[in-house]
Amino acid sequence: MPSVLAEPSLLPAFSKALDLSWISKMQVNQPAVLRRAQQIQARRTVKKEWQAAWLLKAVTFIDLTTLSGDDTSSNIQRLCYKAKYPIREDLLKTLNMHDKGLTTAAVCVYPARVCDAVRALKAAGCTIPVASVATGFPAGQTHLKTRLEEIRLAVEDGATEIDVVINRTLVLTGQWEALYDEIRQFRKACGEAHLKTILATGELGSLTNVYKASMIAMMAGSDFIKTSTGKETVNATFPVAIVMLRAIRDFFWKTGNKVGFKPAGGIRSAKDSLAWLSLVKEELGDEWLTPDLFRIGASTLLSDIERQVCNNPLSWDKLTSVFLRKKRKIPYWAMRTREKTSSDLPHCTQTSAFIQANPHLKWADWTRERECA
Amino acid sequence: MAATRTKPSAREIFTTLEYGPVPESHACALAWLDTQDRHLGHYVNGKWLKPEHRNSVPCQDPITGERLAICLQAQAEDVVAAVEAAGTAFENWSGLPGASRAQHLLRLAKMIQKHQRLLWTLESLVTGRAVREVRDGDVPLAQQLLQYHAVQAYTQEEVLAGWEPMGVIGLILSPTFSFLEMMWRICPALAVGCTVVVLVPPASPTPLLLAQLAGELGSFPGILNVISGPASLGPVLASQPGVQKVTFCGAIEGGLRLLIQESVWDETMRRLQERMARLRGGRGLDGAVDMGARGAAAHDLAQRYVREARSQGAQVFQAGAVPSDSPFFPPTLVSDLPPASPCTQAEVPWPVVVASPFRTAKEALAVANGTPRGASASVWSERLGQALELGYGLRVGTVWINAHGLRNAEVPTGGCKESGSSWSGGPDGLYEYLRPSGTPARLSYFSENLNYGTFGLAVPSTLPAGPEIGPSPATPYGLLIGGHFQAPGARSSRPIQDAQGNLHGYVAEGGAKDIRGAVEAAHQAAPGWVGQSPGARATLLWALATALERREAALTSRLERHGTELKDAKVEVELSARQLRAWGARAQAQGHVLQVAGLKGPVLRLREPLGVLAIVCPDEWPLLAFVSLLAAALAHGNTVVLVPSGACPIPALELCQDMAALLPAGLVNVVTGDRDHLTRCLALHQDVQALWYFGSAQGSQFVEWASAGNLKPVWVNRGCPWAWDQEAKGAGRELGLRAARTKALWLPMGD
Repeated sequence: MPSVLAEPSLLPAFSKALDLSWISKMQVNQPAVLRRAQQIQARRTVKKEWQAAWLLKAVTFIDLTTLSGDDTSSNIQRLCYKAKYPIREDLLKTLNMHDKGLTTAAVCVYPARVCDAVRALKAAGCTIPVASVATGFPAGQTHLKTRLEEIRLAVEDGATEIDVVINRTLVLTGQWEALYDEIRQFRKACGEAHLKTILATGELGSLTNVYKASMIAMMAGSDFIKTSTGKETVNATFPVAIVMLRAIRDFFWKTGNKVGFKPAGGIRSAKDSLAWLSLVKEELGDEWLTPDLFRIGASTLLSDIERQVCNNPLSWDKLTSVFLRKKRKIPYWAMRTREKTSSDLPHCTQTSAFIQANPHLKWADWTRERECA
Repeated sequence: MAATRTKPSAREIFTTLEYGPVPESHACALAWLDTQDRHLGHYVNGKWLKPEHRNSVPCQDPITGERLAICLQAQAEDVVAAVEAAGTAFENWSGLPGASRAQHLLRLAKMIQKHQRLLWTLESLVTGRAVREVRDGDVPLAQQLLQYHAVQAYTQEEVLAGWEPMGVIGLILSPTFSFLEMMWRICPALAVGCTVVVLVPPASPTPLLLAQLAGELGSFPGILNVISGPASLGPVLASQPGVQKVTFCGAIEGGLRLLIQESVWDETMRRLQERMARLRGGRGLDGAVDMGARGAAAHDLAQRYVREARSQGAQVFQAGAVPSDSPFFPPTLVSDLPPASPCTQAEVPWPVVVASPFRTAKEALAVANGTPRGASASVWSERLGQALELGYGLRVGTVWINAHGLRNAEVPTGGCKESGSSWSGGPDGLYEYLRPSGTPARLSYFSENLNYGTFGLAVPSTLPAGPEIGPSPATPYGLLIGGHFQAPGARSSRPIQDAQGNLHGYVAEGGAKDIRGAVEAAHQAAPGWVGQSPGARATLLWALATALERREAALTSRLERHGTELKDAKVEVELSARQLRAWGARAQAQGHVLQVAGLKGPVLRLREPLGVLAIVCPDEWPLLAFVSLLAAALAHGNTVVLVPSGACPIPALELCQDMAALLPAGLVNVVTGDRDHLTRCLALHQDVQALWYFGSAQGSQFVEWASAGNLKPVWVNRGCPWAWDQEAKGAGRELGLRAARTKALWLPMGD
């Protein structure tokens, strides 16, 4: 397993000429997709060691994101610190994972904050890539010229991954050639940087459109296709993901090229993240479970994962022995809820556990971050 | 297996990202078995019955082989005790108002909800099925079934007026069944007021647990009794005088046959294999497996099938993360099976899928309908028109369009051909356990002396019965076959005598050859008649009614000559015309749309014709019975072969002259002759799709026996004459129920 710290491989972006026959006959069977989506969540669960390992793996897929109007260099700094040290050191030690150099896959910010992020990460001495949203995020309703300029500027500032939003108008009116051309131009503007194309699936109208848009985005040379901006009313859902994953598979079968997948928006709980991992594992296989091909866009997910790793019976066995060595009394709720999930904990305990786990965050920051998500 | 391997550390899993075991604790199932000292008997009348001096069989975990409990094998006297208990309980239970029965069923649903964990772990532990399947599918559906049928019980007095519960129902379960199959049958039976005796195969504790849950409700202990014993007890249960009806329940879903259009064959196979490779198999009590195991017998069956298919040159694809040792068998895709291979005909075992290509939808339909089974099918197509055409054309009980395996308590589930002809769920399920009020209970009409080999085999010779009186020498009536009258194959006639013993006329002496011709003609007419709109059918029936009225004088005099009072004869003719019109009108309103919880889209409940229906008419009410049966059958789109009353066939034959002129050729075929002989020919004919018999007790017994061989739906009167002039009978709903088959067509929607 190569270290996740390794420089993300900047492969020459693949693209192919537009072939409308790949999408013209396509028809997605929505009831069947819904049924599959329903089943897959119930069929795969992981427990104990597996859960802990999967959760830590999920951390390495996270594009740690902050996209709010009041982002400043200080909270970007904190974000970058969190990206570098996503999980408490003592927890990692109990799982014998402290030497893996665990970080998130990237940090994701607005174009104007790319400089801050690059600086902060440099200061921390790590090579986590900085991703920037661009092209009139989140609506994409600005002129093509300014959208392209936005990409170029973000790349100039040091972003190595660009999350662009597509023009939904083109999808809804069926202008597939125009959509292809636009994404081609985004691709060119990105240069060496990775292109992640946000389909904003909540606004595409139908699953068939989701499939077609995915295919066009891949043909035009996207490195990743991403579900949503996180600002639509409907964000990353399982049915949409299944359609996108099948499109990725079809594209792979047709061209031999692997395109990545990034669900974003609404993924808040550790349990959700596990479901996403198993979904990708089931639909595309293990080879897609690397940060090069799978990302999760999230802002508050990380803290829940940390809490769940902490609640894992494995960590508990060791942590409680630490408690006992220090002659500290195990709090009553810990004794009662050892076998249970964190949702059984009283609310105030959850909060205090979170605050203890994130000493670098101020209370106000935390509440705001939660709301933004 | 996972247990023998050293447990990987979190660090290793971080790299491999493999799935781990998710064991579901089955401590409660074991604890329940402990309450019985691991010694299970039968559950009768709210108590455990553990008679002494009985054989016992071990109940084993199908995967580890660990012995979980010992199960006693019942003997005949245990069955008698259970039937007696059910009989006693029936008196109270059936007398209750529907609302109280509804209350009781709801309490049972609550009881199941309280103990659902015990239920699903026990079922998964004993059968080896994936716990996820039982927990997320079967248990909620079991509760839903109880709730739905509680509502039906509540409205019984209003909606099912004119029907009464049959009595004690015997239910025989096949060796591989799920407890859900039992619930599908006991819920409607209990709801309408019947009580049940279930004979389960040895070593199946789940039905016993269900019976205990029902028994512990206290008030009506004897309504559900469970006996565990060998299949040889089936006839004992069936022949108990108290048992009014016996139903069988088949195995859980087996393997599948997949028909794929050639143009998408490669693509579909690739996707199928990709998906199969990701299936996980393992111990049923693991929460993250897709398929469990179904014991060594199922494994051997699948292995034999796959080995044979391979030896015949088929392609076999096996995949999935499934343990390689005995009870586990990987999901298997068999393709390129040579058409002549025996595997093409044999039933596909679980978990095998046999794929074969087809060129056109028409060809697919022919292949699919060519199998002897007819429980369910699914159609996958993005073209709605094509999918619907296939959905309507498939001869099965349930069709899912672009979905598979959906079930709901409100939707009737059943089948046709070898998959049986009884229904469970929905309104159709209720009628299985009801009979029109006032009909006598089933008497023990079963005769040991009937020789099936010789019944109706030889036709007594017919000799001249002269002297002929009347204006001119009476020409014998011919047989109405394929739209015109023809002479019988045997070239002989039989005399018909009137009430005074004088010769009334000659009718043709039909035989096996004529039956063959009639069935053939009926088959040819079937597609045309099925394709007619109900309105067109009604028009024809009404035209026939008018023709019948024109013949009123002749028909009345014919009836009078056979000893009917003039007044009654007039009434009979008048009622006959009314019957034709009434059924014509009813033809218009059939089937309806169901809206099912949890499904976006409708479920169509279709009423489809049975096909070629043979009817042996009773001697009583020679014209009215003939017309009632005929009208009901035609209104529902069947084509018919009729044997009119033996003593008085002439009024019916008179009407045939109008039918020959009015109706499409072959729609109605009438064969006269020796009734026993004709009944034998019809019952043993493989292409007669259903048979109604109104005649002697012996004939009824023969018909039931003969239909066991080709599994055609039969309806017999067991020698009891019917009052055809009463609405409850002649025109009643039972006739309508019997004249068509229900099909559920699921149409999930969405884009």
